[in-house]
Amino acid sequence: MRIEEMKRESEMLYAGHNACPGCGAALSVRFLTRALGSNIALVLTASCWSIIAGMPPLTALKCPILHCPFPSAGSVGSGVRRGLDAKGKHDTTVVVLAGDGGTFDIGLQALSGAAQRNEDYIFVCYDNEAYMNTGMQTSSATPFGARTNTAPYPLFKEGQKKDIMQIMAAHSIPYAATATVAFPEDLENKLKKAQEIKGFRFIHILSPCPPGWGTESGDTIHLSRLAVSTGFFPLYEIINGVSWKMTCMPEGKRVPLKEYLMGQRRFKQMEDIRIDALQEEVDHDWEMLMEKIGSSQPLK
Amino acid sequence: MLPEVTKDELLYSHGNEPSTVNKTGEWRFLTPKRSEKLSPCRHGCLLNGEIPVWMEAVKQERWDEAWQTMSRYNPFPALTGYTCFHPCTEECNRGQLDQVIDIPALERTVGQWRLDNYRSEARPQKNKGRVAVVGSGPAGMSCAYYLNEDGYAVTVFEREKVAGGMFALGIPEYRLPRRVLKRELSLLEDRGIKFTTGCSIGSDIPLAELYADFDQVFLSTGAWKPRLSGIKGEESRGVWNALEFLSRINKGEQVEVTDPVIVIGGGNAAVDSARSALRLKGVNHVSLIYRRSRAEMPAGQVEVEAAEHEGVELICNALPREINTDGQSVSGIIFDHCKTNREGLVVDRSRSFHKSCGTVIMALGQEVDYSLFDTLEKPAVIFAGGDLISGPATVPEAINAGRIAAMAIKARIKGLPAPMLFKSEQIPVGFEELNLEAKLNLQLQNKQENPSDEASRCLGCGTCNSCGICYLFCPDMAVDPVDGRFELNMDYCKGCGICFKECPSRALVMEGGR
Ligand SMILES: Cc1cc2nc3c(=O)[nH]c(=O)nc-3n(C[C@H](O)[C@H](O)[C@H](O)COP(=O)(O)OP(=O)(O)OC[C@H]3O[C@@H](n4cnc5c(N)ncnc54)[C@H](O)[C@@H]3O)c2cc1C
Ligand code: SF4
Ligand code: SF4
Repeated sequence: MRIEEMKRESEMLYAGHNACPGCGAALSVRFLTRALGSNIALVLTASCWSIIAGMPPLTALKCPILHCPFPSAGSVGSGVRRGLDAKGKHDTTVVVLAGDGGTFDIGLQALSGAAQRNEDYIFVCYDNEAYMNTGMQTSSATPFGARTNTAPYPLFKEGQKKDIMQIMAAHSIPYAATATVAFPEDLENKLKKAQEIKGFRFIHILSPCPPGWGTESGDTIHLSRLAVSTGFFPLYEIINGVSWKMTCMPEGKRVPLKEYLMGQRRFKQMEDIRIDALQEEVDHDWEMLMEKIGSSQPLK
Repeated sequence: MLPEVTKDELLYSHGNEPSTVNKTGEWRFLTPKRSEKLSPCRHGCLLNGEIPVWMEAVKQERWDEAWQTMSRYNPFPALTGYTCFHPCTEECNRGQLDQVIDIPALERTVGQWRLDNYRSEARPQKNKGRVAVVGSGPAGMSCAYYLNEDGYAVTVFEREKVAGGMFALGIPEYRLPRRVLKRELSLLEDRGIKFTTGCSIGSDIPLAELYADFDQVFLSTGAWKPRLSGIKGEESRGVWNALEFLSRINKGEQVEVTDPVIVIGGGNAAVDSARSALRLKGVNHVSLIYRRSRAEMPAGQVEVEAAEHEGVELICNALPREINTDGQSVSGIIFDHCKTNREGLVVDRSRSFHKSCGTVIMALGQEVDYSLFDTLEKPAVIFAGGDLISGPATVPEAINAGRIAAMAIKARIKGLPAPMLFKSEQIPVGFEELNLEAKLNLQLQNKQENPSDEASRCLGCGTCNSCGICYLFCPDMAVDPVDGRFELNMDYCKGCGICFKECPSRALVMEGGR
């Protein structure tokens, strides 16, 4: 790729932000601004990004930011959209940015409401799989078997990671997609595609968190890539809740999940039976996904 | 890259001071640094060419830049592209993935671009100092090129009527199209280098005279003295020495050969002679006979295979004992079986055979003729290089010698100490060290590799080729694109190490501390 092609005028993340070294969430938002251009308004719910964005008067983003309470992201996004429309600013893209807590748990009812009303904005969930900002407490996005501060050794997270994509698909929203930082081109394409569509759009970005996952800060991209190549976090999109499509297929056979888990302290001391159980879960989900992709009609 | 903003642009609900005042570089306890490593191709290259660096320019079709980079070490890429045996590709890491990079083909492309596009005005003579170059082979051409580039007046003296040394007289036309050589030489002339051909130093002009007339003299007369075998009949008519044979053909002169032809030897001159003989009118059968085994042939395997493919009969483990001759013509050769073991060559006279022929070409190698030096009256310093010093070697080694000589001569003229040269002791970057995952991943997303675009397959081992992965994946905007390169911005780098881990070429290291 040429350097010139790689630069984006619209990049709106300033250096000097407060994210930890190797932060996947910071990178996710960097790619987001690269894709969406500068005419955006950002709604930020309580999450790591509330801190990353900087303490006033400092700001890490060159766009208007509105902070909102934890459960309200979906509603505040709706309000901002309507407000801008009332002022005739139809071309401003409203983006709601929430962590997994603000999406999967605390923010779910507002999110569901907004999706059901098909509000015209993009809801982006950067998923680091726990409440990292408040001290790494389990969320319903935490994968089975992981240790968090609310499930310390010998405990571990019980139950599956909530399948938020199916929930969103069930709302029959025009566009929903998964993405992750190791595949910036794929991520940016999805956001651009979403921007073209009217109605409620949902992007789920897996964003590795070095301190929360107990990984080396330099491994962020490596892990994000492994999440895809193991099939733990497949990259796909769903149109109108019915047309499922893979966008980035791991080449050849899927890598055993163990490789992904190995480098992360939150999965340390995970017994083999639990690793196998998680592998089975991943395999099952993968098959289900393939079935959906296979049976869905490509929509024009 | 930090976005530029004006104060009035900032109308935020949240804050209006960019966070760039926060120098997050202070958090760092590990620091990424650019540390380029030796690539295997450069390690193999006999003239130390910066292959991955010019490869990057080729990838982006920045031809002038490719030529500029390449010519730092190799001013004649078109010529080496045709003639060099490319040891660079032997070590190429890409070979472990699929196929090695066809480096010589890319050299030819860049060389041809230069021949087609280069301005051919004379170089300004900005430096005082006149230099004579004796011998116009690759070593002489290269020395003349580098001196001329730096604005010295150069005159090249050549014994033969044509310039180019082995390029013109040794290497057959089917391996090196003469239009390429002609264009290359005329470019040198246009740039102000004087060629005096048909002038043998030592006989036409005494060497001492050159030392008197010029500030410095570079000797690169090559190795042209045929090595003799001492067998009976060697001096007879109908027995050629390979270089004589090849240069007569290359000069376009008539050569008399009678079918069938036997070539004796196993080097490149032997193979070239055999293939050239087969191309002559009236020759139907050529045998190439070598005393050791096929695997021990010094000639390149590709060349040997090409000869066989064309119909040359290859006989190994046979040593000529005697050439049958009546003084006017030859009728055949008696060979003894022989093989090599630990003691050396073992000849088995009981297993001899006779092979009839009309012409014999002896290609037993060349030696250096030192007689030119005898005429010298103790000059203080002699600059010499190429085959003359190394003995019969290769084109790239001669070009390299010419370049180094030019540096030394320049230093001498300016009264500076001679440059010290060190051979890099670095171990080249191994295949396992490369982060191919990242590399292929990036390609997967952007564009598929174009197999016809050979340069794009190069992995850029150990060399930052401005792929931009570090820039793209930096969460802290601490990698700035500056003039087409990437620079690490230590004001903001938190030392996460993503760039170091993701760099596909291993062009970065992490060091302790800030
Ligand atoms: C048949 C053959 C094929 C070869 N093929 C290859 C190949 O494919 N690839 C490769 O890498 N290498 C090849 N080589 C080796 C390569 O050609 C030489 O190593 C290289 O040319 C050496 O360069 P040079 O400048 O030192 O000498 P040369 O190329 O030999 O040039 C010396 C020049 O000096 C001139 N000269 C000699 N004495 C005098 C004098 N007294 N006054 C004026 N001029 C004089 C000669 O006429 C000649 O032009 C081949 C060699 C031979 C013999
Ligand atoms: S892949 Fe490129 S840089 Fe690496 S050895 Fe081959 S030619 Fe050289
Ligand atoms: S990642 Fe690419 S641009 Fe960055 S140092 Fe490595 S080769 Fe150079």
